[in-house]
Amino acid sequence: MLTVIRWVFGVTFWALVGAVFHYTLPQVDIVRITDTYEKRIDFGENSIFWATADVGNDGTTINRDVFFVQARRARGDVMVYRNEDTGWGWPPYFKFDTSNLQAEAADAKSTADAPQYYAIKHYGWRNEFMSIFPNAISLRPVEGPDASKGIPYLNIIIILLFLAIVYGIWVRWRRFRMARIDPTLEAIEDEVTEQRGRMSRWLGSWRKK
Amino acid sequence: MLALIRLILLGFVFLTVIYICLSFYSRAVRKSKLRKKWHDGKQLVDRDTFVQRGLERYDGSIRRKLILGVYVVPMVVVAVIIYLTNFA
Repeated sequence: MLTVIRWVFGVTFWALVGAVFHYTLPQVDIVRITDTYEKRIDFGENSIFWATADVGNDGTTINRDVFFVQARRARGDVMVYRNEDTGWGWPPYFKFDTSNLQAEAADAKSTADAPQYYAIKHYGWRNEFMSIFPNAISLRPVEGPDASKGIPYLNIIIILLFLAIVYGIWVRWRRFRMARIDPTLEAIEDEVTEQRGRMSRWLGSWRKK
Repeated sequence: MLALIRLILLGFVFLTVIYICLSFYSRAVRKSKLRKKWHDGKQLVDRDTFVQRGLERYDGSIRRKLILGVYVVPMVVVAVIIYLTNFA
């Protein structure tokens, strides 16, 4: 039973860690940008999936206008990106050039007849049930729909660093447990068994007679 | 502005914890190295004086000041990210 609880807890924890990384780390899509627009958003249950108002503006309002970029991905499906400042907050992209990026995206529009492809770097998820959108970070032109996305060196480095830190903490914790906690627990157990032994001996001394 | 102040404050607290831990750790490592050196050496002075002198030299060394990189490196990283995200 304890092992089952342990496994459920462990799998849930690591799934959450993986989800955080999958949401936060940058990914690249090859897209054809079809349109850009802005829309007022009244943040509700999905508010943690939206970033902040443009840096310098009032961040306490309950709603604001958000830029969006509509695109058709090279693989054929559509994708809508939001375009928001992350500012000085989380995730640490330090993006302040939202309006410039919107100008670039508007300039990058193309039709299906004369397609122009762009690699759009973004983080976040598209989820229709919660109305959340990935946040576009940057845009660069590529030759065609089959262009390479490049090797995600940054993601590899960040995940390796994270795993190294986790491993380092885990090793030290295990060493500490073996050196300090386990002997104490064993000593307590020994004492308890000894006490029990004494108790039963005392009882036995009554029984035998 | 508020977000920037929050980032600076949280970052400062977090990095200070790392800085303090790291400087204690580094000093402890230096101490054990000095003890080993005294043990292997000619032992002209007694151990505590030897270690004490060594640590005083360590306190003034560049090696110790390098730990300040705990503050410098993240600031440089943030500056590079800001440049790459917004101006590159």
